[in-house]
Amino acid sequence: MTVYLEKLAEFSALLRQEGLPVGLQETADACEILSCLDLGDRGTVRAALQAVYAKSREEQAAFQRAFDGFFVSAEKRDALRRRHAAEAEALARRRAEAEQELQVNGQPMDLREDLQEVYIRMGDRSREQLRQLLEKTKGNLERSPQLYSNFIRSVFMRFLLEQQMTMEDAASGCEESDPDLALLYRDISHFKDADIPRAAALIAAISRQLDAELSRQKQGAAHSGKLDFRRTIRKGLETGGSFYRLAYRRKRRRKRRLVLLCDVSGSMLQFSEFALRFIKSMSEVSESSQTYLFSEEIHAVDPFALQNMDAFRDYVRASGLYGRGTDLGTAMEKLCASRPAALGPSTTLLILSDTKTIDLPRAGRALLEARQRAGKVLWLNPIPERKWPYVRSIQTMQMLCQMLPCSTLDELARACRKMLK
Amino acid sequence: MDIPALKAKLDEARYIYDDSLVTTLLVALKLGRPLLIEGAAGVGKTEIAKVMAHALDRDLVRLQCYEGLDESKALYEWNYQKQLLSIQVQMNRQDPDALTRSLFSDDYLLPRPLLQSIRAEKPVVLLIDEIDKSDEEFEAFLLELLSEMQVTIPEVGVVRARTIPFVVLTSNRTRPLSEALRRRCAYLYIQYPSLEKEVAIIRARLPNVNEHLAVQAAQAIQRLRGSDAILKKPSIAETLDWVSALEALGISDLTDESARQTLGFVLKSSEDLEAGEAVLSGKSGEDEGCGHAHDHQHGHCGHCAGAGSQ
Repeated sequence: MTVYLEKLAEFSALLRQEGLPVGLQETADACEILSCLDLGDRGTVRAALQAVYAKSREEQAAFQRAFDGFFVSAEKRDALRRRHAAEAEALARRRAEAEQELQVNGQPMDLREDLQEVYIRMGDRSREQLRQLLEKTKGNLERSPQLYSNFIRSVFMRFLLEQQMTMEDAASGCEESDPDLALLYRDISHFKDADIPRAAALIAAISRQLDAELSRQKQGAAHSGKLDFRRTIRKGLETGGSFYRLAYRRKRRRKRRLVLLCDVSGSMLQFSEFALRFIKSMSEVSESSQTYLFSEEIHAVDPFALQNMDAFRDYVRASGLYGRGTDLGTAMEKLCASRPAALGPSTTLLILSDTKTIDLPRAGRALLEARQRAGKVLWLNPIPERKWPYVRSIQTMQMLCQMLPCSTLDELARACRKMLK
Repeated sequence: MDIPALKAKLDEARYIYDDSLVTTLLVALKLGRPLLIEGAAGVGKTEIAKVMAHALDRDLVRLQCYEGLDESKALYEWNYQKQLLSIQVQMNRQDPDALTRSLFSDDYLLPRPLLQSIRAEKPVVLLIDEIDKSDEEFEAFLLELLSEMQVTIPEVGVVRARTIPFVVLTSNRTRPLSEALRRRCAYLYIQYPSLEKEVAIIRARLPNVNEHLAVQAAQAIQRLRGSDAILKKPSIAETLDWVSALEALGISDLTDESARQTLGFVLKSSEDLEAGEAVLSGKSGEDEGCGHAHDHQHGHCGHCAGAGSQ
């Protein structure tokens, strides 16, 4: 029993790392249920632990991954052992080779350990390319050793970053078990044409969920504290005229006005289409909304053009905005000048853009002005959050308004939730 | 009860199951945890509660959830009319305190499904159906019952369960349930059945239907469910209705014509009927269009794709 508990505690810790909210109760339940099951049957153990640990469909996908990694079958364990031994041998061999290859004038190159590891794990082709590059630039060593050393480090850093990005963009592993879930967490810019109908269906389903969530939140809002005499008297009739239950006036909730500023320059069109689908399909979003499309120019959009998203693309192409650069500064200045009433204290200005604009200082100034006029400014950014520190325009805009990452449908849904609270 | 015994009971109830479902049911039973079942509408979530009532030889107490459901409909309510009558009748009684006390006794209490289930002499199966349709307050109100098997009635105090019911909660995922509720339950997600399972369900429920028709109907249903153009996917109950209707009409071979005439048993809106006919006659071709009557300028239809279920 002690062995079970230890193993299950380790498994629980692994599930916590996967993001499942696992507590002591779940571990105790798992232990109790395993003691009355046939442990030789892997399928039964999997189903039993899944019922105890995973409490939603999303958690089930994470559970399956963790289970397969933790409870390895006997054949798989042997195969893994053999593979690890072969990998360790190959790694030792490559380490020895790297020591030979990474030398400058017969001396080991001054490189950090993690960068050396990058070289060791590189493919043969990349290593060859890197060696050629080092050979080509060798002449700089004598002219400026410090500059050469910095250059070498930057080359290695680039490889390291590229490698990390490949790892981060890798499929989450649940593609086979649940394609819809995988789509939810995939970068929107990586969607293929074939994925679009499924993505649209997913958006509709999530929007329905958000809608239901919001309408219930609003119904549950506290009353205003003022007695509703008419309803109280009517209710009193049920109890023979005694006012057994008092009815209160409901709090009146004011919805915000929403102004959408939507970047439709070349790279942003697909994201903008998805984001607009989300925002438009939520009936509870706002009392009224105005949508403006911009690239180098700004156009107010006829709301009927957004009802059908096929027509939306045609509209963008016909407007002449598509395929041009982004000039947020001009767009905002024109918006403030031509529609001064558009932004007010009860307005939320929502900007859908990747921040890559010409004339960044001007865009910053225009955003500041818009922030002073509007009640709230939110920026939905399709660039993954992990890349934000490397993009200067994002850092600038982030200082001026609240920015929410929206590179995946899941993040977009979370941003919508946040926006409405 | 162990897995073979539970399987035998489910077989007795002619319920078609897979191993993971049986294991999950057993986990919930052994741990005494409520079972939360999620899945699309019509996959057989409610049926599990009925089958478990049969398998455990217990009564089924059902609470259907809806927006605005509160404790007076779910747990208890005082019988106001009876209380008022009592006050009128006993107006001149010497001991007014005793009268007040008596007004809040069992005689004036109207137990609703939740209270009925925990006060029953014999343990029951409690089905809390479509919990996602209720409000968040009601969900929070259920926590005490689900974790402690007790409820608090302000005028009476804490009422502890006489017998522990087997609780089944179902949800169509129209909104996410709270973490607190999920944590208290064993969890099961049910998907639409595969072709083989659906044929087996038809055979088990309608043993007189010929094999050929059962397979044809199940194949047609699978195609309808797989189509993005169909907004409301057909449920298992609708499959059974359809096959029964075909049999009653003396149809032993499902042709385009017979499918078209009886498709109303499966699809319940004019848009779906139109799209369904196109899917079954092979004219829809998901790549060519959706089957709905409108122009397509592009590869996919925004309206239809947007409205498909997950």
